[in-house]
Amino acid sequence: MALLGFSTGSVARADFRAAVATLRGSATSAIELSALRADELGPLLEAYAELDLSPYRYVSVHAPSAFALSDEPAIARALLPLAHRGIPIVVHPDTIHQHALWRPFGRLLLVENMDPRKPAGRTAAELAGVFAHLPEASLCFDIAHARRYDTSMLEAYRILSCFGGRLAQVHISELDSDCRHRRISPAAIRAYREVSALIPRHVPVIIESDVAAGQVDAELAAARDALGWNRPRRARLDRPGIARRGGASIGTLGRARRNCA
Amino acid sequence: MALPQQLTLPVDPPSEVETLAESLRAHWPSIMAARVKAQEQLVFLRSELDELIPHSTNMVVFGSLGRYEFTAESDVDWTLLIDAQADTQHLDAALAIERRLEELNVKKPGRERTFGGLTVSHDLLHKIGGEDDTNRNTTQRILLLLESVPLGSDSRAYDGVVNNVLKRYVQEDVEGAGLDSPFKVPRFLQNDIARYWRTVAVDFAYKRRLRARSGWALRTAKLRMSRKLIYAAGLLACYACETDAGSARPHDPDAVLQVVGRLRQLVRQTPLDVVARTVLRYPALLEAGAGLFSAYDGFLALLGEGESRRRLSELRPDEADRDPVYAKVRDLGQRFQDALTRMFFDADTPLRDLNRKYGVF
Repeated sequence: MALLGFSTGSVARADFRAAVATLRGSATSAIELSALRADELGPLLEAYAELDLSPYRYVSVHAPSAFALSDEPAIARALLPLAHRGIPIVVHPDTIHQHALWRPFGRLLLVENMDPRKPAGRTAAELAGVFAHLPEASLCFDIAHARRYDTSMLEAYRILSCFGGRLAQVHISELDSDCRHRRISPAAIRAYREVSALIPRHVPVIIESDVAAGQVDAELAAARDALGWNRPRRARLDRPGIARRGGASIGTLGRARRNCA
Repeated sequence: MALPQQLTLPVDPPSEVETLAESLRAHWPSIMAARVKAQEQLVFLRSELDELIPHSTNMVVFGSLGRYEFTAESDVDWTLLIDAQADTQHLDAALAIERRLEELNVKKPGRERTFGGLTVSHDLLHKIGGEDDTNRNTTQRILLLLESVPLGSDSRAYDGVVNNVLKRYVQEDVEGAGLDSPFKVPRFLQNDIARYWRTVAVDFAYKRRLRARSGWALRTAKLRMSRKLIYAAGLLACYACETDAGSARPHDPDAVLQVVGRLRQLVRQTPLDVVARTVLRYPALLEAGAGLFSAYDGFLALLGEGESRRRLSELRPDEADRDPVYAKVRDLGQRFQDALTRMFFDADTPLRDLNRKYGVF
């Protein structure tokens, strides 16, 4: 069964407990615990052991997306124990300034491609620069960010072609003109299908659309549709073995398919 | 213009021309000098103008600068390409760029100016064909693909528009015409490039009549050389979709994007690099290629000499037969055409068959 679920931030913003409760009973097998603001990280880490995450076969944590440069060592130190337990940590490349702090995360550091407003990590070429400093890191491919950067989906295709071997997680949603996460529209579904064959079915997919409790099932269906999961896939892309909760099997594929610098 | 000390020259464009020159042991001083001069000019313009270019737009330069064929006499034709939400500040930005260019004494294009001001991506993308696809829109679209360079803090607007325009062409062939594979010559694109070339040639005669033959000789030189080069490079890029397919899988779900990506790589090169790349690929073209580049080098040398260029700007048709500068233009144009004929029609390469199949009908 494919690994599909929500980011807690998409369901209940900073209230991860409410999000976990809302998602209980939904047809999800994956969850991303979101601490997008730095002050959300402490409470999340404190509560982590008490959260009932038993319904999920894949759990990741999204690191804060903005913080002071001086806070970077403390944030990296706080997250590292999770990585030691096999929990993938999603990071925005523009928050990384001291690469040495993040190298110990190895493959469990998931670098996310950025939306066009950000200064780095938006394209395959920019990501190549990030991975040059973090050679073991994996990729969290945000398909909405890639589409917002280039609506032709060519940049999305390039990122997946260049770094498919690093692909460990996917973010899916739709971005509005202010780059806010919205529900996936039919136009976005058509666009995402153009590259969905490059996303192996075993890669966990996390929905980031801003949804109300009553919209969870519909958004799951839209995500499946966008990923082409309702259609037969080509055998070459169905590769087994990817992250399981508590495991460390991320990135079992080749690490880099071509030079994309 | 002095190159700011703190800036380094960009490494682009990746040069097939240099590789070909080495391979042929040829020396094309004017081509090489024009490339260096273009790089210097782009560095200079970026340092002076980037701060004026709004986010989600790019200033795009065309013409000799877009082809990396800049000489001391070249002007700068440009537009502010918008791929963003409507914003009243876009026009202000375009006017500010124009003022700064005047302050910098950058030479303006004359009446030939195709661009200037604002260009909105939607017309380029959605008005391909049909009554609303004006000469100007077609020209802007094709030159955006074949001889343009973006300026700005990044190239997102430019990349997005070029990628989408290319995708429009490829997708239309596959989905609209029901092709079984996108790894073929993209006819929609090729026809539009051919339409551009024929339009330029027809407009040449129109302008000659309209403008009482003013600037006729210079336009003739450009038509025979740089305009024709663009057409040849466009054809070669289209043909490469079929010749470079290799072991491509036509039924891959991402096949269209594979072809769009390939075309994007090709049109990112200068027209001369596209030609050089083809010559390097097929040894049977080496001799013709040497002739073509030698003629083009002579053309750039001529345009870079202020006196020759001025003579061509002022020459009347009835003086042409006895004018030594125009005699050079005629000779260079003939040598360039001979080389193209050998490349496209005579040499034993796949180009000959592709040209038979797609070039005319």
